[in-house]
Amino acid sequence: MDQDIQDILASVSAPTIPQRSIDLQALTRAWVQERTSPELLPYPSDLIERTMERLKKQIDNIENMTGTMDPQANFTLVIFQTELERFKFLIRSFLRARIAKIDKFAQHYLAQPDCLSPLEREYLHAHSSLLSAHYSTSFLSSFPIQLQKLDDTTGGISMVDKPDEDTAVFCRVLRDILEPVEVYGESETNDVELRRGDVWVLRWSAVREAVIRGDIELI
Amino acid sequence: MYGEQANKLVVDAKRIQNLPHLPPYASTVVRATTKEVRDLDRETMNLLAQSGDGTQIKSFFNPADDPSTACALLVNHLSMRRNKRCLLAYHRTRTDKLEQMCWAGVDVSNLSQTTNNGQPSGRNSAGPVNSLSAEEEQYVHQYNDLLAAYKGRWTDVDLTGSLEPPKDIFIDVRVLKDAGEIQTEYGSINLTKNSQFYVRQADVERLIQQGYLQRLS
Repeated sequence: MDQDIQDILASVSAPTIPQRSIDLQALTRAWVQERTSPELLPYPSDLIERTMERLKKQIDNIENMTGTMDPQANFTLVIFQTELERFKFLIRSFLRARIAKIDKFAQHYLAQPDCLSPLEREYLHAHSSLLSAHYSTSFLSSFPIQLQKLDDTTGGISMVDKPDEDTAVFCRVLRDILEPVEVYGESETNDVELRRGDVWVLRWSAVREAVIRGDIELI
Repeated sequence: MYGEQANKLVVDAKRIQNLPHLPPYASTVVRATTKEVRDLDRETMNLLAQSGDGTQIKSFFNPADDPSTACALLVNHLSMRRNKRCLLAYHRTRTDKLEQMCWAGVDVSNLSQTTNNGQPSGRNSAGPVNSLSAEEEQYVHQYNDLLAAYKGRWTDVDLTGSLEPPKDIFIDVRVLKDAGEIQTEYGSINLTKNSQFYVRQADVERLIQQGYLQRLS
């Protein structure tokens, strides 16, 4: 628990910490949150850009170091490479988690592409046009016209698959939330107060805003 | 009639989810289901035409006037929608599977020949049958291109790399198949069958995925 508070303090009182450590922490947090939240979170373009730049620099750096073949530097090199691999893993896993969600709820994100990066948008459009072309050559083209739509929301069951916003997520409160959050169970609703350091299991829809604001983090 | 064919597709799709390979495309069932939808649609049109004045379809139809027709229309309509859902689900399950293979770097062009060998499926025992439909093959090629394009924007990260958190940068590998010579930052290595090496994981990641190398723990 002590460790957690340290983490939280570190993230709140930023000025003394160099930008790169903050970025690492932010990246790790973004990665964890992307993997746990049912919905796509806003794309942290600045953060990813900074990290990718640093990654490139580090790759060059490592290449230079291997070029000199200094036996003294070998140990440092191993550490650098390990760090590099870990960074690459973080970004890779983060992007793959996003792609998985985009693929799963393609129609939904086509309608509201705010959270996507330009690249992801490109991918989504290309992918869904591929899919619909595949459907229509396979069977849909011989259907009656009124049944050929892929994003039909009329008639009982909507064809647009949405992320489940009421699913439960584990979260930790980073800053006191002034407004009590309303939670509802089987029969009644209740208010809970969220204090810094608390760990809760709540519905995603209840904490969504606070997570995007950064007052709560998913764990 | 009424969704029997489509049900087969759904059962099949459920089965595909847990299979390591992709069974042959059920083109006959797909065609039968599509035909059923067209038949139902024609019947619906006929019913509507009868309930109108015979020449044109009434835009407004009061169910209370003619409950039996209303019921028939509803059942037809729901069956058509259900068939569509089933068809979409079947195709989606298959494309998902194919996409997974694309991400894993499986060479899909070989897939059509190899998946059927050694599978005691019973049906179609006469020679290897292409398990992908022509449309699916085209889809796979296009998706591979799309994936390559997207991956190309993230060359430093290698999106299709391992999703296991990296622990060591150097690993022991054994060569299962001759893979020729590879270039690494530490010079070139000649990968001959049954030899063992201590190499950087990032250099041989692809070869492990493709089955040339085996990782020794």
